[in-house]
Amino acid sequence: MKQILPPGISATDFAEALQALRKIVGDDFVYTGEALAGYADPYSIVADDDTHAASAAVAPASTGQVQAVVRVASQYGVPLWPVSCGKNYAYGGASPRMAGTVVLDLKRMNRILEVSESDGYALVEPGVSYFDLYNHITSKGYKLWLDVPDPGWGSVIGNALEHGVGYTPYGDHFAMQCGMEVVLANGELVRTGMGALPNGNTWQLFKYGFGPYLDGIFTQSNFGIVTKMGIWLMPEPPGYRPYMISFQREEDLEQVVDILRPLKVGSVIQNAATIRSLLLVAAVNATRSQYTDKPGPLPDSTLRKIMADQDIGMWNIYGALYGPPPVMDTLWTVIRDSFAKVPGAKFYFVEDRKRENDLLISRADTMRGIPRLSEFSFVNWTGGGGHIGFSPVSPIRGSEAMKQYTMVRDRMHEYGFDYMSIFAIGWRELHHVVELLFDRRDPKIKHQADVLFRQLVRDAAAAGYGEYRTHLSYMDDIAATYSWNDHALMKLNQTIKDALDPKGILAPGKQGIWPARYRGSPK
Amino acid sequence: MIRLALGLTLTLLLVGGEASAADAPAGKAIFDHNCAPCHAKGPGHAGTQRLAQIRGPANAALEDRTDLSADYVRLVVRHGLVEMPAWRLTEINDAELNQLAQYLARAK
Repeated sequence: MKQILPPGISATDFAEALQALRKIVGDDFVYTGEALAGYADPYSIVADDDTHAASAAVAPASTGQVQAVVRVASQYGVPLWPVSCGKNYAYGGASPRMAGTVVLDLKRMNRILEVSESDGYALVEPGVSYFDLYNHITSKGYKLWLDVPDPGWGSVIGNALEHGVGYTPYGDHFAMQCGMEVVLANGELVRTGMGALPNGNTWQLFKYGFGPYLDGIFTQSNFGIVTKMGIWLMPEPPGYRPYMISFQREEDLEQVVDILRPLKVGSVIQNAATIRSLLLVAAVNATRSQYTDKPGPLPDSTLRKIMADQDIGMWNIYGALYGPPPVMDTLWTVIRDSFAKVPGAKFYFVEDRKRENDLLISRADTMRGIPRLSEFSFVNWTGGGGHIGFSPVSPIRGSEAMKQYTMVRDRMHEYGFDYMSIFAIGWRELHHVVELLFDRRDPKIKHQADVLFRQLVRDAAAAGYGEYRTHLSYMDDIAATYSWNDHALMKLNQTIKDALDPKGILAPGKQGIWPARYRGSPK
Repeated sequence: MIRLALGLTLTLLLVGGEASAADAPAGKAIFDHNCAPCHAKGPGHAGTQRLAQIRGPANAALEDRTDLSADYVRLVVRHGLVEMPAWRLTEINDAELNQLAQYLARAK
């Protein structure tokens, strides 16, 4: 395996830096060579496997070790890329943005420091996964629910920092975080909000503390390393009833979204409900090869057959009711009557779904905060594992949803890919999360997917849409679309970066934010 | 190249029988923690479902397989295999991986 070095660092200096890191964390927790296999993005879209290759990885076990690692990195000029559980798949996994960066693997920092049943929160370290926290809560018998994303192997902290979403009423994960501990680039340790109060007892209860609210600058950024974070947990409700509503025609999306907006904004729909496209739902159960051996868009007759086979719609809402049964009954009456206005709408509860891998069965778990990996099976649709998310944001408006849908669908068909997506409903907006599947073993298809992705970014920007999150390979492209007033936002980010991290140690290139020493040079 | 090698090793490597009975509980616990969310028996497990699609239902559940060698398990866990990502040393260390490998390769 060829050795990759951080840019501008000699092999001798790098070896010396690694030796200093070994003294901090121990010989067993600095990785090079073959031990870096797990730090390569398994679903990378780029043909050059070195584009995001790490030079080494270091795995501290405590906040004190993180501080010491940062000081050594600063001394030698070695860039660090922090990862928590390293499961940010479709966005880069545990890989760094810049080749040669050392991955700061926080997986060993996996302590659940506190769970308060009465106040409804947990305080965790970055290596705590959703599975870990769920198992802890259930083993203690706490009457608390977690909120989980689709795959449960990721980090509670990492997902919130990346602005990930889940599916209970607590589905906006960053909105539900409260209080951080952060290691800065100079090694100093800071606690945000009420955590700055010595001997205080409200760190996980009140976000804002006194003075500027800073937690947001440590999300999707490279301004510090979050080593502890509070997350609010939902009290177990007295009742729970998941449901699915299917719609038969492509054009129904417009009416469905317009019906949905007042229901969501008015909290009649209580959770982070989703609208899922036909093929994304079908892919959980079936493979493309079961329906065709031909490339290109599936004809309408095939789409209709898939709908009939799986008893699903062209669009499918997955939601849930929470609360005392009379409350759920009343909310359901409003929801059902609202969507019954769409011709052909069908309504289902879990007991109505009989297929053993039916999506509502697994969503019945995820919408009540039970972590799963079931829906990872959607990558089996074409096989080959590769997948990447394209995630533009729009208003919760039918005309906008249809515009995004047709724009992306037509481009995907033009380049020979199936359209599959989730419209995740936030408080005032739709995340249109499009899944682009490709065979990771096929360089030609990966290249095609790469060209398509860059085109989608341009299309979206031209139409006034921006993405909320992206893969390492597109961070610069998407950051460049947030260009109002001559890129004033990026200039502000760079000013903060230069002030907090003048040596450019932390996560160079994260979200397009480069430290001064790498700015303008090709990566 | 690794993926090619994996394809070959699946058919070439040893069948099971490397484990002692004492390793099984530890290996089972490691499997349940790390692997079961994708590879447990029954519906709702993406890995089991994929193996059923490409290798048939008899080869779908890893705990029932009789053709897995410990070396093969170690290779796949450390390097991944098509849909499955590689697992880092911070997720499963070498001692745990050995116990897992022996559990999956045990005589059945």
